[in-house]
Amino acid sequence: MNVKSIALGVGMAALLGSAAHAADYRIAYLAASSQNGFNQAIWEGVQKAAKARGVEVEIFNGEFDATKQFSQVEDIVAGGKFQGIVITPNDSVGIAAAVEEATKAGVKVATTLFPIGPKLDVLEPQVPGLVTTVASNPAIGAKAQADAVIEFCKDKNPCKVAIIIGQKIYPFDNLRYQTYLDTLKPQSNIEIVATVEGNYDPDKSMAGMQDVLQAHKDINVVLSNADQHLVGAEIALEDAGLDVPSLYLIGGGANQIAIDAIKAGKWDATLAQLPRSEGEYALNGVVDALEGKPTPAFTDELKLGGDMPAIITKKALDEHPDYKPEWQG
Amino acid sequence: MSGTTSTARSAEATVPAGRRAIAFLQRYGILIIIALLMAGLTVLSDSFLTPRNLLNIVNQSAPLAIIACALTLVIIGGGFDLSAGAVFGVASVSAAWLAVNVDPTLGIIAGPLVGLVLGLVNGLIITGFNVHSFLATLASSMVFRGIAILITGGALIPVRMEEFAWLGRGRVGIVNIAVIVFVVFALAMMFLLNRTTFGRRVFAVGGNEEAAILSGVRTNLVKIATFGLTGFAAGLAGVIAVSRISMGQPQAGVGMELDAIAAVILGGTSIYGGKGAIWRSVAGVLLLSLIGNGFNILNVNPFFKDLTTGLIIVVAVALSAGRKRR
Repeated sequence: MNVKSIALGVGMAALLGSAAHAADYRIAYLAASSQNGFNQAIWEGVQKAAKARGVEVEIFNGEFDATKQFSQVEDIVAGGKFQGIVITPNDSVGIAAAVEEATKAGVKVATTLFPIGPKLDVLEPQVPGLVTTVASNPAIGAKAQADAVIEFCKDKNPCKVAIIIGQKIYPFDNLRYQTYLDTLKPQSNIEIVATVEGNYDPDKSMAGMQDVLQAHKDINVVLSNADQHLVGAEIALEDAGLDVPSLYLIGGGANQIAIDAIKAGKWDATLAQLPRSEGEYALNGVVDALEGKPTPAFTDELKLGGDMPAIITKKALDEHPDYKPEWQG
Repeated sequence: MSGTTSTARSAEATVPAGRRAIAFLQRYGILIIIALLMAGLTVLSDSFLTPRNLLNIVNQSAPLAIIACALTLVIIGGGFDLSAGAVFGVASVSAAWLAVNVDPTLGIIAGPLVGLVLGLVNGLIITGFNVHSFLATLASSMVFRGIAILITGGALIPVRMEEFAWLGRGRVGIVNIAVIVFVVFALAMMFLLNRTTFGRRVFAVGGNEEAAILSGVRTNLVKIATFGLTGFAAGLAGVIAVSRISMGQPQAGVGMELDAIAAVILGGTSIYGGKGAIWRSVAGVLLLSLIGNGFNILNVNPFFKDLTTGLIIVVAVALSAGRKRR
């Protein structure tokens, strides 16, 4: 065996060794619900980053059930098959205990969409050992939306606003709703005439908007935390004979449907959300931690979009013609 | 027959007037609660008692009412269907997918047919494997929901086409086409239940299955037919809903089966089978819709909506239960 062969052999062994090391990492993605479009987009980001980093990933369906997701974390820790977890929590407060057990057991955990812990508006990890949080503060996003409404209403008195919120039983929706009220109520020209729960369902939102329009056909603004709600609201407004482009419609999520509607001049704005990027950043954070590399304590989702503003308008889209939403809806 | 009627009348005449009044209240409790609620909402809001709003309520209720009408047959027949919401979801995304990728009219036609097939599958599982309908439809609902996700990949399917939207959003005069479809369907179900041999067999199967078998009724066929009808209704409702919002969504109809069951029971149809009426289920749906409409019109905090709905259901069911005890 000559020197050349030995060198080749050593080189091949080193290559195979490093490949085996990367493939050894198995990361679980715990979706709030694998049937949900937003979670699917996070999963796409997780898969994309996993492919680039050479690690294996597997998705778990939380079925929008906090208890089920809690058990999934426990099972993963007990099973010892996964070294890391990326989670989109169903109950961002309740899951903290399970996540703490996981981090104590040496599993690297990153959270997406919401922070984990008692405070929804604190992105710094609240659970000891949590690797990273890739999310945005719901209150900051809601404040930005409400400020956009104030700007639209500045020359109108009264300016009648209908709010469609997801479900007030969810802490994050409650925080958003309270932020809307805290920001809009001090404005003397703004009148909040109705609040409807849309439950992230276009059909329920449409029915709610139809009811609101029975009593208030002269509304000026529909403010919602979710683009899905505006899909239903727009239909109710059109059916009631209102000129939708002359109203101010602002949603949240920046999905494909919203971006198309804003480009077409039907809706006015949406709050940016980047689920695919969330998945990528979270997966990279977990793998970095496993490899002993430094990881940022948190990444603010609202800053992932580069120079695209958090409130996406037609003007912003015209200035960024290559912008592509990260989820279908 | 006339002898029986006259005996009943004479027996009724011996009952004190007070008890007769209570019996009347219990028999028509659902209608009385609806009337009270309507009176209250009329006083509280000028917008409530307008033709536009009343049509709005019926239009919004149409998909749920269509399911509740057919589900009444299943429940009278002694069965239970927990898959109606999932069938609604599969039918709506199937219709949306076909409308976008093949033809809008085909999408509309396919929805109820998909529902019919899934309903028949339910009936065949229940009778073929002798599984209780509660468990069978609980399991099949998971399978159906999975199919809806497979069709859509979890995403929404926008269907903004005039040829597709007419069913959910079109009108004849001031009346929505969906309302007309609902009224025709409800009348058809009433006719089927009250005027046909099939209807009498449904009551017989739910009242006493063994006696029905001994009387020569092919109970399995009756059950399969009732589940097929409910599947068809869920599919029809799904198509109306997807056509209305121009959007197929895999999560469509989540929890709808419970709303439909609540409406049927709220109306006074017996959960144990053998007794019930289509009009009662329609009244149950209208009561639930009235509560939602009233809360939105009055802009009451949504937190109170579930509380009030629950309390009204308890009162209505308690009234109905009192009637049965008598």
